[in-house]
Amino acid sequence: MDDVLITGLGVISCLGSGLNAFWDGMNRAVSAPRKVADPHAHMDIPHMYAVPDADVPAPVEALDGQPLGVASRFALDVTRQAMADAGLVDHDPWRTAVVIGTGMGDAGLHEQWRTDGHPEHDRWNATFSVASAVGELVGAAGPNTSVSNACAASGFAVSLAADLIRSGEADVVIAGGAEAYSRVALGCFNRLGAVDPDTCRPFDAKRAGTVFGEGAAALVLESAAHARRRSAATVYARLAGAGWSCDAHHTTAIEPEGVQITRAMRHALAEAGIGPAELGCVVPHGTGTLINDTVESRALAGLLGTAALERPLYSLKSLIGHTGGAAGALAALSAALIVRNGTVPPNVPRTDPDPECRVSLPEEATALAGSAVMVNAYAFGGNNVSLVMQEAAA
Amino acid sequence: MTALDATRVAVTGVGVVSPRGFDGSAAGRERTASPEGWFDHRTHLGRRGYKYLPTAAQYFLAASNRALEAGGGLDHAPPESRGAAVGTNSAAEALHAAMDTTITTGSATDLSPATAPFFSINLFGSRMAMEHGLQGFNLTLTSPRVAGLEAIQTGLRSVGLGRADWLLAGATEEALAPLDPAVRDSEAGAVALVLEPARDAAARGSDVLGHLVVRSGYLPPGTPAPEARERAGRILGEGPGGLALRDATVVAVVDDSPVSAAVLGALGTDVRRVPAGAGSLEPLLQIAGLLGSGAEGPTAVVTAAAQGNVALCWVIPPDRTDAAPAATPRDEA
Repeated sequence: MDDVLITGLGVISCLGSGLNAFWDGMNRAVSAPRKVADPHAHMDIPHMYAVPDADVPAPVEALDGQPLGVASRFALDVTRQAMADAGLVDHDPWRTAVVIGTGMGDAGLHEQWRTDGHPEHDRWNATFSVASAVGELVGAAGPNTSVSNACAASGFAVSLAADLIRSGEADVVIAGGAEAYSRVALGCFNRLGAVDPDTCRPFDAKRAGTVFGEGAAALVLESAAHARRRSAATVYARLAGAGWSCDAHHTTAIEPEGVQITRAMRHALAEAGIGPAELGCVVPHGTGTLINDTVESRALAGLLGTAALERPLYSLKSLIGHTGGAAGALAALSAALIVRNGTVPPNVPRTDPDPECRVSLPEEATALAGSAVMVNAYAFGGNNVSLVMQEAAA
Repeated sequence: MTALDATRVAVTGVGVVSPRGFDGSAAGRERTASPEGWFDHRTHLGRRGYKYLPTAAQYFLAASNRALEAGGGLDHAPPESRGAAVGTNSAAEALHAAMDTTITTGSATDLSPATAPFFSINLFGSRMAMEHGLQGFNLTLTSPRVAGLEAIQTGLRSVGLGRADWLLAGATEEALAPLDPAVRDSEAGAVALVLEPARDAAARGSDVLGHLVVRSGYLPPGTPAPEARERAGRILGEGPGGLALRDATVVAVVDDSPVSAAVLGALGTDVRRVPAGAGSLEPLLQIAGLLGSGAEGPTAVVTAAAQGNVALCWVIPPDRTDAAPAATPRDEA
């Protein structure tokens, strides 16, 4: 089976826009949420790790002449970056596909219309047209898919993109995720008591929920044969394996024994053809919610054995918040950078490590000891996906 | 089995929940505003435990139950081999609008804790997965109008790549909020299909209703008309085994957009046009109708969205091989 390679990346987050801003931010390990600018956000804790105002792409119209929401604008920004990074200029549109994960799509646009007034037409404005916008930008005539499995959406998107290549339906897939501020989503998380009033602090004893973040990531996935034919300049990593499962347990709560998240991790490793010892780092789902971090820690201990105490985790959400449907893609992008650079950036320091979470979160940059990095993405409804990124040559 | 062997996966159960009816015949009736009280969860699901489940989740659960009953249940499939893929565009729209009004005119503390999690659109298929122990996967696809067909396509691809052996695929929608500009095009209801390897169906003596093969692609909305028609034709392509659309009965679920016009141009004139709604349900309803139509030849459902998404589903009648018991190992497929 042909390898699936990652040959281009693009990113926007609270750290700013662009790959350099992201990697520099990862290494500075400093960030903070801020209050949302929405005057209608009547909720107890209206804060998130927002994209800096100066980096939010300007409003545009596209597609059928309707305005695009902020999530779509994020997605277009990171897609342009990733295409330029990959040097993709003469790709065959009929062999190019798009798969984008987003939990809320352009719901923010509809929320704005509810307070400011609807546009004067009676046409249907589909909330989930982020992938469509990317398809138009890229000129991709292949499958164009929007995946909305909540906080695992773009983890599945990256995996589905690889499946399109492995099934022979595409040579190149623009995969990723995008999420922007949504008043409804933040309000509902407030109502559920799931927002930390301080910061996003996974695996900390005083964690009190998560803190949302805005962001998007795009990854150019290519078959190895295609990358070889065009002499791709950069190969960040190979997407070596993916594992899926569903808890089928509860609407919002994780299955407490972690049986299905463990199965997804084992499946991803098996598909990659490697054992846990090859993992030099894990980018966990780790959201800052009390039970989820504990269950994931135990599952990692079950997978890695005693090595779990030493194997570094890179807790991305403690830096950029929980970016919802974009989280899996941002984690996958981070993993690809870690593999490519051979370095695990420093974690945001925890003030009070939770003894129930027996994991290693180094606060200094460490060399990647192992050929692969695992990414976990979990979601409401018990939807789980694990990805394995591994070193690769062009 | 690979994705190219998708024709070897058979439909063994169909469930329809629609204000136009509760079987495939609903496809032949015009979409109108949903009559008051057309769906009562107490009748279709049970008197306890479903009251606070949003309606689009109720619809999909009811449709899934009907499909499973028609398909002979799922005891033969281990939980970790069961996958699901659900398409929806508007399941959460009206709920979002109501929640947003609560927040903007009052406070998020006034939201119902029972429905608050359903801001997340993937939960509209999650109750079905919980009740039926679907532990393989449970995907939610949301591409404009084609999401239901993509649920079939993506689900079948995932089965083909070994992520599950048994699939429940479908779509669910709920009417848009009253103030939404497109409310008159609202869809409501759900369709669920049970798909499994034809040999498994034959081994169980289960009736095969047909086979589905889905293609999809993207047509930029601004493409000039002659080129758009040509590109639409290329997306639709030819069917499995060289089937041509001109030899099939074709249902086109389309709107008045340039993308739909290009698709209609590529199809020619001999198609049955069905007005598209503001969601992904109508194409699935049409598939349900074709699966129960008794058609002897190949049929197809085509749909397109103004945003550029295009998809086609071939609906191929069962043949005599579908009735044969499994006589060879599973790797034959």
